[in-house]
Amino acid sequence: MIGIGGQPLFILPFGDIVLYFTPFTLTLFIFALVFTVLVIISKPERQIDIVFGGDAYLAKEISISDMKFRRFMAIACGLASMGAMVTGDIFDFALFTSLVGICNVGIVAAVKSRHVQNAAYQYGLVAMSATVPLFAGAAIVAATTGTLSILQLALPGATKVPLLVKALLTLGVMGEGMAPFYAAKAEMFRAPGAPYVIMCSLSSLLIFLRVIEVVLTV
Amino acid sequence: MWNEYSVGLALVMISAVIGFLALLREQDDLHRLLIIDLVEIPSLAIIALLGTDLAEALILPGLVVGIAELLALSQIYVTKEGLRKRPVRGLHIEVVEHAHAPVIIPALLVGYGIVLSGFTGGAVAALGAIFFVMSRGSTDSYELVEMASGIAWAAWIASFFVFMFFPQYWYAGVMGAAVGILVKVAAKMTLVGSMWGEAE
Repeated sequence: MIGIGGQPLFILPFGDIVLYFTPFTLTLFIFALVFTVLVIISKPERQIDIVFGGDAYLAKEISISDMKFRRFMAIACGLASMGAMVTGDIFDFALFTSLVGICNVGIVAAVKSRHVQNAAYQYGLVAMSATVPLFAGAAIVAATTGTLSILQLALPGATKVPLLVKALLTLGVMGEGMAPFYAAKAEMFRAPGAPYVIMCSLSSLLIFLRVIEVVLTV
Repeated sequence: MWNEYSVGLALVMISAVIGFLALLREQDDLHRLLIIDLVEIPSLAIIALLGTDLAEALILPGLVVGIAELLALSQIYVTKEGLRKRPVRGLHIEVVEHAHAPVIIPALLVGYGIVLSGFTGGAVAALGAIFFVMSRGSTDSYELVEMASGIAWAAWIASFFVFMFFPQYWYAGVMGAAVGILVKVAAKMTLVGSMWGEAE
């Protein structure tokens, strides 16, 4: 298997579900791991609004339970991204990706602000409709080639996955990993809690990179 | 070219497109959520079109992910619209004599569910349990049921580890998984709607 991922360094066959690391996915996995550890140990920031033209500033008060929930969601998001990085099964990848989508919604939805919740709701709608092309793509891969294993599909003699199916998969991941693009909707990122919101962007970046590898390999 | 799979796929794709068109035209947030739930059904149908054992195994996680997203989004909707729990008094249905439903019906359902075992059995047994709880008007706390569900889930996972690491004990694995999934599905279905807690 010579793709952009390089030779697999480590293969763990777990029943018919195979986990493997290539230099490419290993890098992404380490990224996700480091950020998850950072989320676990770091203390959330206090957001401070400064009034222009004066000395006044005000610190926003965020309840502990709020922060606990967001930290839990960020850790879950990190775990889901790690899973999406190591899995060697296209359907598993689709599942982990939609899990990342749910966790991203959860990270921002805990903020008790109407604007933030509106943005999170709209993003959630996009993520939910993206599960249709995502799972459809994964299922049609199984239907056309008879296997879901990326390692099998990467073999030279394997049936190639139709281009349309690759497009469906990519479309699905685009919908699920939409969070950073909602940065245009600044409300979502105006939400306090620095390390947790970054997890949205990071996980989306990781699943984008991984789906590119998958689409180019199979 | 046009075998059964292609025809089915085309039909499902057309229905998905119709759903997305409806989504495009709809402006109300709640209705869009409902339409998206409708649109998710074609995605399950595409998986089901595989028509193999694998499809059966893949539909379940797909369904679970869809339900999880639906629950999360509806919770966000409730919070963002500031909806409160309204006290609902019992339905005003006139009955000649107020009496509990006979216990024999839920007992039969639960018994049949245990015979069936697995997912189907869990669903049938849960139907019996829900019928029992509803007809008795019970307002007990469900901590014990939640705990049973958790333990059953752990037993189910443990059985999978038996399959993977000790394949020679497959019979114990089958029994553990069957009982675990039975109790888990039954407990889950009874719990639907009761774990959200009280609205503030």
